[in-house]
Amino acid sequence: MTEREGGTVLIVDDDREVVRTYRRYLDETYTIREAYDGEEALDELDELDDDVDVVLLDRLMPGPSGGEVLDRIRDRGYDVRVAMVTAVDPDFDIVDMGFDDYVTKPTTRDELRRTVEGLLELDQHAIDVRKYHSLLVKAAALRDGKSTYELDENRAYTDLESRISDLEAALDDEAEQLIDDSRFVATLRAIDTAATREDADG
Amino acid sequence: MAEGDARADRYPLADALPLDLADLDPGMNVLVSGPPMSGKRQLVFDLLAPEGVPADPIVVMTTDDPASRIRTGFEDRGLRFDPATFRVVDATGAPGDSEPAVHRVSSPADLTGMGVAFTQATEEMGTPDRLRLGFVSISTLLQYVDAERAFSFLHVLSRRTSAAGYLGVYSIDPTTHEDRFVNVVTSIFDAAVEIRDQDGDRELRVRGISGVAPEWTPFPY
Repeated sequence: MTEREGGTVLIVDDDREVVRTYRRYLDETYTIREAYDGEEALDELDELDDDVDVVLLDRLMPGPSGGEVLDRIRDRGYDVRVAMVTAVDPDFDIVDMGFDDYVTKPTTRDELRRTVEGLLELDQHAIDVRKYHSLLVKAAALRDGKSTYELDENRAYTDLESRISDLEAALDDEAEQLIDDSRFVATLRAIDTAATREDADG
Repeated sequence: MAEGDARADRYPLADALPLDLADLDPGMNVLVSGPPMSGKRQLVFDLLAPEGVPADPIVVMTTDDPASRIRTGFEDRGLRFDPATFRVVDATGAPGDSEPAVHRVSSPADLTGMGVAFTQATEEMGTPDRLRLGFVSISTLLQYVDAERAFSFLHVLSRRTSAAGYLGVYSIDPTTHEDRFVNVVTSIFDAAVEIRDQDGDRELRVRGISGVAPEWTPFPY
């Protein structure tokens, strides 16, 4: 299987035509996996473990519904962002249900791509905050017992400082989006479910 | 925004701090740090509901004192425990009856749950333009999640309230953590209020606020 740089998207819908359409919208950028009901979706996740980044989950399917599949995804602690795909505008709170976003059918190529991109940004935000933390820890370690003069002369330290301020600016740019409740909660969920990485700095 | 307009949005402090500091900017996040029994919880409450100032809507997120104690703390200050203007996100895991002003989260380890509870609290208060968020305490949170996760959570929560123009006040006991962690977590905040005990005399200093010198000032009980 060829891995796309963009990440892996699992499309779950009992309507094969819908799955095919979404695949066409997305497959130039993302690695696509398909499932035609909830059980299959969970099997795919099981098999691929943390290799799935985004799940597009049809709300109404024969067998377990999108909501039930979602509950099991959350129970099992998969580090995956999930958008509900629904025929009607959800008249309930997607925050309470545990979805990260939703898409209304029929959707357009642009809308679907924007949704997937937005969900991947949540992971990126979680990674960036973690990286920011690890850089701050490193800077604090370098500062220990050194004078300001020594630090200014220290190439590693000044590099670190500039990476820190770059990340800080990037994170602050995204802060405005956190006003949106579902975005805010989904960001926290991305932090919650992320496996602790030994070296977030890469 | 014109200077005059900005002024109206600020959060008055009255006499909460023994300093020449009348108010704080909207969107600010303040860290209150002090050893056990130094009165930092009291100071957090003072910053959330300064005496003699019309009360802003308040949400207190707690990981150590159960909602009932938070409630008593505020009622003692003459504040009405009205769910329209005052809510507690209780993540202590302590059992309690269901009441409209209390949003329970099973454990401080449930960061998503705390976020959901915060959005529910503000939504049910009618998404106010002004709000003071208290968080007690970072030290307890760290008993449940690793430093990286705690940091990430605090970063996201503080940026959320900042973007909304709210005031955030968080407490930490620096004596229970490595200096390095305290330094790192402090960088999330715009300003830090430190409390210390000098041979039985309590002192306080503020860092990060322009025009206020970071000098130790007596802060009697």
